[in-house]
Amino acid sequence: MSAPEIKRFVVEQFADDVTVDDLADDFDLLDNGVVDSLGLLRLIAWLGDRYSIPVDDVDIEPDDFRTVDAMTAFVARHRAVPAAG
Amino acid sequence: MITWTEDQRSLRESVEGLADVLSDGHVEDDQRGAFPRAKWDRVAATGLLGLPVDAEHGGLGQDVLTTMHVLEGLGHASRDGGLSFSVSTHLASTATPLNRFGSDELKRRYLPRVAAGELIGAHAISEPSAGSDAMAMRTTAVRDGDHFVLNGSKAFVSNGPVADLVVVYARTGPAGTAAGTTAFLVPRDTPGLGFGGPIAKMGLKTSPLCELFLDDVRVPADHVLGRVGSGFLVLDYVMKREILYSFVINVGEMQRRLEQVVDYAKNRAQFGSTIGRFQSVQNLVVDMKVGTETARLWLYHTAQKLQSNKDTTIDVAISKLVASEAAVASAMNAVQVFGGYGYMAEYGLEKDLRNAVAGTIYSGTTQIQQGRIAAMLGL
Ligand SMILES: Cc1cc2nc3c(=O)[nH]c(=O)nc-3n(C[C@H](O)[C@H](O)[C@H](O)COP(=O)(O)OP(=O)(O)OC[C@H]3O[C@@H](n4cnc5c(N)ncnc54)[C@H](O)[C@@H]3O)c2cc1C
Repeated sequence: MSAPEIKRFVVEQFADDVTVDDLADDFDLLDNGVVDSLGLLRLIAWLGDRYSIPVDDVDIEPDDFRTVDAMTAFVARHRAVPAAG
Repeated sequence: MITWTEDQRSLRESVEGLADVLSDGHVEDDQRGAFPRAKWDRVAATGLLGLPVDAEHGGLGQDVLTTMHVLEGLGHASRDGGLSFSVSTHLASTATPLNRFGSDELKRRYLPRVAAGELIGAHAISEPSAGSDAMAMRTTAVRDGDHFVLNGSKAFVSNGPVADLVVVYARTGPAGTAAGTTAFLVPRDTPGLGFGGPIAKMGLKTSPLCELFLDDVRVPADHVLGRVGSGFLVLDYVMKREILYSFVINVGEMQRRLEQVVDYAKNRAQFGSTIGRFQSVQNLVVDMKVGTETARLWLYHTAQKLQSNKDTTIDVAISKLVASEAAVASAMNAVQVFGGYGYMAEYGLEKDLRNAVAGTIYSGTTQIQQGRIAAMLGL
């Protein structure tokens, strides 16, 4: 269920000139300058908080946050890991 | 309120015990502007430089809060603010990213000696034309087989003149993008790496700083910290700790200054009364107390939040703002309470003021922190 929510956050925070329906799942937010470096930090912080991902401790790279698809996969990957692991 | 364990207290006591050694000759050292290597070695011998490094790599494996508790003790004990700044730079710039993002092989090779303080670390982010806007950096790293070739120049490298390892941030992608930089661990003797002479500055004079020149510097690809393109994320991880470490040292310094000022105000007499009885003097001292406690609360609150994996973007910015500005005010008020003696080099209080001014600039200026807070508020 994370994709629509992530998309809504991205649109609200970074691209309020487009609608949620207009934003493609594979649109490159970094190369297109929608999300700048400070924006990337905000995105990571929000995802970490919203989905209880210990972002300081897991392996992350900017590619994980390039597109809505990539973020959805990132969330799925780290939520799948049991809390102890 | 944090209740510290016996272990945490005894780690701190080993540093507090060095107060006389570390403070010895601090005014003269400041005037000479030389890095006090012998004092560095004394600090290293307590294990402090390995506090946040995993035990399997020769460190003490302590968390951020414990590291801060001990660093506050360093600030309280040592009157050599430059030395303390070099300590926090070493911990944040090199020990932190190597421990968190280095490959096993890289850690095995360097981390034990970093933790022991035998190898001194530095980091090079700022450039002559890219300071606050670090992502506009021009230094490039181009892949060539199993190496990267680095070219460019860096300004303001703290510890640079004495560093054995420098974490260099360079562009591996388009300028200005969030995925365009990479962090490299570069040993001092790498061919093509040039260090400028120590640059004279306003304060923190015992913490030497220089420029760095990179002329076809070949760095093995396995010396990348984190992934290629994730330098900005490495830097964010580092900056959070740099702010917590260096400003909790300032809290220790503010605490010591407060004790010194209270003592002076109780003993110095004018107009037939101690100056501590004058309300306007009391106000100077009270403001110092409030500033110290506020900075301390913010820093430890932020560290606790960080350790429980909460978003600390805004907390770190507020902590940095509050602590750096409180440090300047505390140093300024101490000069005022000491009157003419405060202004004289001999007492070391004018030095504290010069040192404190730097805190409003490094690790992101006051204005940059304000900008971050505004951005987090959606402005
Ligand atoms: C003692 C000391 C030690 C340092 N050590 C290191 C080190 O080890 N490694 C390293 O890489 N760097 C180091 N630095 C450099 C430091 O990080 C930079 O000085 C800092 O980032 C500011 O960059 P700048 O000096 O280019 O100033 P600029 O970025 O040119 O800023 C000049 C002024 O403009 C303001 N400003 C800039 N952008 C904005 C904005 N967007 N909004 C509002 N105001 C803005 C600033 O707040 C400042 O007042 C050190 C600096 C000092 C003083």
